[in-house]
Amino acid sequence: MSNDHDHDHGHGHRPPAPMVEEISDFEALEIAVRELSIEKGLFTAEDHRRFTEFAEHIGPTPAARMVAKAWLDPEYKKLCLTDAIKASFAVGVDWLNPTGFGTPSDYTDLRVLEDTPARHHVVVCTLCSCYPRPILGFQPEWYRTPNYRRRLVRWPRQVLAEFGLQVPPEVEIRVEDSNQKCRFIVMPVRPAGTEGWTEDQLTEIVTRDCLIGVALPKPGKTSNIKLPVHRAVNPVHH
Amino acid sequence: MSESANLNAPVGGSEWTPVPLLEEIKGHGRVWGDLASQYGVENPDPPWKTSLEGMCDVLAEGQCALPPLERRWEEDEMSESIYKDVPFPERQLLALAHSLIKRGLVSEADLASRMKQVHDRLAAA
Amino acid sequence: MSHDKTHHATIATGKGDPQCFKGTAGPAKFKVGDRVRIKNLPDIFYTRTMTYTRGAVGEVAVVTHESPAPEDEAWGHVDHSEWFYIVRFRQKDLWPEYPENFPNDTLQTEFSERWLESA
Repeated sequence: MSNDHDHDHGHGHRPPAPMVEEISDFEALEIAVRELSIEKGLFTAEDHRRFTEFAEHIGPTPAARMVAKAWLDPEYKKLCLTDAIKASFAVGVDWLNPTGFGTPSDYTDLRVLEDTPARHHVVVCTLCSCYPRPILGFQPEWYRTPNYRRRLVRWPRQVLAEFGLQVPPEVEIRVEDSNQKCRFIVMPVRPAGTEGWTEDQLTEIVTRDCLIGVALPKPGKTSNIKLPVHRAVNPVHH
Repeated sequence: MSESANLNAPVGGSEWTPVPLLEEIKGHGRVWGDLASQYGVENPDPPWKTSLEGMCDVLAEGQCALPPLERRWEEDEMSESIYKDVPFPERQLLALAHSLIKRGLVSEADLASRMKQVHDRLAAA
Repeated sequence: MSHDKTHHATIATGKGDPQCFKGTAGPAKFKVGDRVRIKNLPDIFYTRTMTYTRGAVGEVAVVTHESPAPEDEAWGHVDHSEWFYIVRFRQKDLWPEYPENFPNDTLQTEFSERWLESA
């Protein structure tokens, strides 16, 4: 496995990108686990490489672009809501990758949950943290924690408030617990202040947090929440 | 005290006995957050994260030795006990190694000796 | 490489999973709008039917796809398929102390047909 932490493009007037100069025990452990697993026949190097390359190529931009396109094109929006797998091709995602029949944890049944002014969706997988990786990339750490998974289904408003999202009491919060093969992204309501925007501009404000449903898109807001590294156990209260 | 939603994991009996090699790594290994800030690298993830995810996926295929739901439940339990203070994704890596050792799929001794070889190999490069 | 993995690749390549099971479950027992109750079937070990839904009554929101039930699929028994349904519940029907000032809140999650009965 290549030891590239970063690489120098060699154009001459750019200093080389910083690199981590030491091998951590974790890096050595990962290599050791992988090599021993291959030697013991748990998987082949080729199969592992295929999934690693998949992991290297996924990210949240395609899902963001899907929403932006849907906001601009009512016909595409209809396709997103009736056949999201087919709609994924328009943003460069083929859910059959990398095996020809999808991955063992993402499957091939994407559903788009359309927000309205009267209804806001938020997604969780209480069982384990299933997530639409082919179109959204990897789950954020907080999405994987039992803390989020246990609490969102029962106290969604408290959890959303911790993300800085307050939803009026009469608006329906609809929690989607994705416990089987379907995978979900949220299509938020297009915010005010984006009239005349291009697809690129709209894509930029549909963050990963918006696509999960823990944030709403806003002009100027292009980043996701950064939660503290040390997870405090929050007392549960109504 | 209100009950939280049951996560459906099998209850009772999962006591996580520390694995000495993994405890050693946990105690002395440098996590990516520290390495990245020391060397000024901006990537939020260590370079081995995608390979780790690749392993988790490839182990989930077919009638595999380490079914994904079991692996995730074990990771949840270890994340709340023996690996509670380890950041992510180091925690996911330790949990994977632990699950493999627990099932006898790889041995602690083999891992220890392979890690030494890896260190030697990469230091020489 | 296990027989199971090769077999799955054979039937699913080019189609996807759950698409590869299309047409294998027979007619769906329930339709959108049906009121259903979640059965409290005994768990042998492995289930994807969340404990917090057992005994609850909700409404079929979406008929999604056909697939082997996870309880069977976990053991490699993929000869039998069922229809799957997203069922929607009012939060106040799931949690006795759900605050009354949020009366419209709902939760939906997915079940295979064996878990549902008419309500």
